[in-house]
Amino acid sequence: MTQPHSYSVEAKRKFLEQMLTIRRAEEQVIHFATDHEDLIRGHFHVYIGQEASGVGACAALGPDDYVFTTHRNHGHVIARGGELGPVLAEIIGRTTGYNKGRGGTFHVIAPHLGILQTSGVVGGCVPLAAGAAFSIKKRGTRQVSLVFFGDGVLEEGAFYEAVNLASLWKLPVVFVCENNDVARERRKGGASPSDSLAARQLTDISNAFSVPSVTADGADMLAMAAAMGDAVSKVRGGAGPVFVESRITRWPGNAGTFPALLGGDYRLDWALAPSSGPKELQDWLQHSDPVALFVRTLVANGAMSKADVEAMDARIRKAVAEAASFALASPAPKAECALEHIFAA
Amino acid sequence: MTQMRYVDGLRRAIELEMERDQRVIVLGEDVGVGGPFGITVGLLERFGERRVINTPISEDSIMGLATGAALAGKRPIIEIMFVDFITLAMSQLVNHTAKLRFMSGGQLSVPLVIRVQQGAGGGWGAHHSQSLEAWFHHVPGLKVVAPSNAADALGLLRAAIRDDDPVLFIEHRGLHFRRDEVSDPDAIPALGTAKILRGGKDLTIITYSKAVWDALAAADELAARDLSAEVIDLRSLSPLDMDTVLGSVRRTSRALIVHEAVRQGGLGAEIAAHIQETAFDWLDAPMHRVGAPFAPVPASPVLEQAFVPDTRTIVAAVEQMLGLAPASSTEDPLERRRA
Amino acid sequence: MTPDTNILYRDMLQRMLLIRAFEERVIELAHRRELAGLLHVGIGQEGVAVGVATALGDGDYLYGTHRSHGHFLARGTDPGRLMAELAGKESGLCRGRGGSMHIVDAARKLMTATGIVGGTIPLALGTALVARESGHVVAVYFGDGASNTGSFHECLNMASLWKLPVVLVCENNGYAEFTPMSAHTVVSHVSVHGKPYGIPADIIDGNDTLAVLNAARAAVARAREGGGPTIVECQTYRLRGHYVGDPASYRKADEVAEWRDKDPIRRFTGLLQQRGTITAHEIDALTAAARARVDDAVAFARESPQPTPQSVADHVYA
Repeated sequence: MTQPHSYSVEAKRKFLEQMLTIRRAEEQVIHFATDHEDLIRGHFHVYIGQEASGVGACAALGPDDYVFTTHRNHGHVIARGGELGPVLAEIIGRTTGYNKGRGGTFHVIAPHLGILQTSGVVGGCVPLAAGAAFSIKKRGTRQVSLVFFGDGVLEEGAFYEAVNLASLWKLPVVFVCENNDVARERRKGGASPSDSLAARQLTDISNAFSVPSVTADGADMLAMAAAMGDAVSKVRGGAGPVFVESRITRWPGNAGTFPALLGGDYRLDWALAPSSGPKELQDWLQHSDPVALFVRTLVANGAMSKADVEAMDARIRKAVAEAASFALASPAPKAECALEHIFAA
Repeated sequence: MTQMRYVDGLRRAIELEMERDQRVIVLGEDVGVGGPFGITVGLLERFGERRVINTPISEDSIMGLATGAALAGKRPIIEIMFVDFITLAMSQLVNHTAKLRFMSGGQLSVPLVIRVQQGAGGGWGAHHSQSLEAWFHHVPGLKVVAPSNAADALGLLRAAIRDDDPVLFIEHRGLHFRRDEVSDPDAIPALGTAKILRGGKDLTIITYSKAVWDALAAADELAARDLSAEVIDLRSLSPLDMDTVLGSVRRTSRALIVHEAVRQGGLGAEIAAHIQETAFDWLDAPMHRVGAPFAPVPASPVLEQAFVPDTRTIVAAVEQMLGLAPASSTEDPLERRRA
Repeated sequence: MTPDTNILYRDMLQRMLLIRAFEERVIELAHRRELAGLLHVGIGQEGVAVGVATALGDGDYLYGTHRSHGHFLARGTDPGRLMAELAGKESGLCRGRGGSMHIVDAARKLMTATGIVGGTIPLALGTALVARESGHVVAVYFGDGASNTGSFHECLNMASLWKLPVVLVCENNGYAEFTPMSAHTVVSHVSVHGKPYGIPADIIDGNDTLAVLNAARAAVARAREGGGPTIVECQTYRLRGHYVGDPASYRKADEVAEWRDKDPIRRFTGLLQQRGTITAHEIDALTAAARARVDDAVAFARESPQPTPQSVADHVYA
């Protein structure tokens, strides 16, 4: 059971700031795709609606910890301290991106932030995270290795092999499963019926390996922060791995093959008064949007005023716009350098 | 004469064979809802969930599962969403699917088709863009097919489904929406047969899959310079139709092999080695191979474009082979034409 | 016990004795270099092989592991053709092409053994998709080591999701090659992994042949009636090394001795004597008969011709 935590006003402001940064950055990514010809070709995945999970997880980490993630990595990278300019530039393949344009949206990697790999292969990073944890254990440091993955990963064998090893060798891994197909009434606990996974509860699987497991409401910023704080400190203390299932209700804009900004760019008015929002987003704004829920809580408790929130959002939107300009103005790599960075020498 | 898109040819092949033979079943991730490329759209509604099976994301096990169903008399078609993910299924595919007939001394049969989508373009990055046919060409017991056009997508997939051996069927993503004339929609070519798409006398270009179209465009450009290139579409990569290839090389005396896959260790190496072993005396010049540089597929559009061989690369290779002055700026900083 | 049961149990004993005699002879021939290759014998695990084989009906399928000589003999495979296969002869089950780890006896629906740990589990699921159409079931063997492969878990999910008629028989002999279970996994029993997927399990003394028979029968019935998969976890022990030639110095002598005392053949003969099904004299006769059958098998293998070198690439394609 998660111990009660209390967060200072400053901490809560920081959480909101990061959530809004992710929200606005991901909107910009969608604009890159819709407003420009051929800028983002192929598929891309945005973190809208999942911000509390990534922010809560990264807030619990120290500067030396490792992070692994998936094709849906932008939110994690930003929450971990990734700068908007190099993140957006990487997404559109420019030389000023974190990976010099070689990774693209699926593979925004930032080793200086401890983000060692993101994978386009479902489940691909879970064994890597166990390996990094193995290295931590051998070196005897107090780092942890945190890996984000989706519910689909529990269908992949590699997950089981990694969990078995992590449990057997008591590796300092924090497994964070972002289950983003949870109906809103089930978020605080309950089964995850699925037609591709026979397990009723995802945590039954990790529990079978004697890995302590918790579920948390992925739309509740403070609950996520608390659950992740507990998980990380437990792992850092040497108890072995922990599994956290962050239960998220999908943003309606992510229902189709490509993300779509239903109703246009997000408006803070919608957060404060969901009935003013677009019809398709009503239920989500009312019950499942982590940003809306947190803004309403902060304003209701007096931690921030509506004007504070708007001012913060305006600053963020400006920063995102600047980063987008930076990315768009950055050069594409030259053909001659296509063969660089394959081998060491 | 019908016009058809490549994806429609694939879907039609599956539908026809499922109608014709109750043993044909389809398995794969998301196949029940058409898959990411829509090829299996409508099959679940038409043939039911006993014959169209949506699987979890478990490539290793579903490859084995499809194989086990084949051992017991079904004729499964398994869809692997991106060839890059076939890496997860390698043990079952290479150790069981390809070898059970042999290891059982002929008691067992594995009439399985493994459909994979592969290829670069679109900036999808290193895990969604590889060309891995050379690995499977190297596995005894597997057959490998790669159609370049809608008619062959239709006819060769039907042939593959009817074949009693496991067939890896490679569909290039960049070919999905091309339209071709299909003169005989009922034709079912034999596996292991290549096709000469364009006759010529000065050199033979041997290629397959999407690169076929770049080769044909290159042949057009060369024709304007009075050079006549014969273009062979291999269609089957294992077994290779070396009779057609050798026949052509004996007439033209020059051979260029073109593929999108990385040059090093690619099929061009096998084909060139075979030609020189058998037809050395007919060659007037060393053979050349065009392939991608020895690098993972980059995400950046500029880098990806530099990576994938195209018409320009092929023309430049021919110029080099024939000692011609370059017609235009044909810098090849990535040395796609030579090691 | 009814006369039918007597006959059944005698037959089961005969098969256990045949397996024991066969495997002991394999070791001897390997030491004499008459048999080459990597050989894995199932001495000590005969109770599982015969219990499971007896529970299956005609037309039911079976998949093995790398240690499947006993699985196949228990289901009626001709020992001569099996020995010839191990000897690489043309008259072998697989014309000498499969060898010990890749035996197939398709006529008996003994689909294949494999060198890939856990590799037959997905195959079994696929065959089960077909078997269910005719009311048949598929049994598949795997060891405790295989329970750590990702594929095992993928298969638990799918077998449960689709309620496939599979009997998942775990020969838990406490070792994954040279590594004891406590060093290769955290779970106490392999069956634990079936729980999240709602797969029922039976953990039994694998050296109690009748317990295996009963558990296997229940699992087969459940599968046949559409109740889906069961894990039948048989706790057993291999009395020899992992492969022929493995000195198994990673195991303590007292542990081996403890399991020798629980030898499934000794226990089964003891039980049958106690019940009056069989006398000591008859046991001797059956043992001698088993050895004689193996002698014939060895003679057959020795006299069989080698495959011709020219046929090296036969049977690759249809």
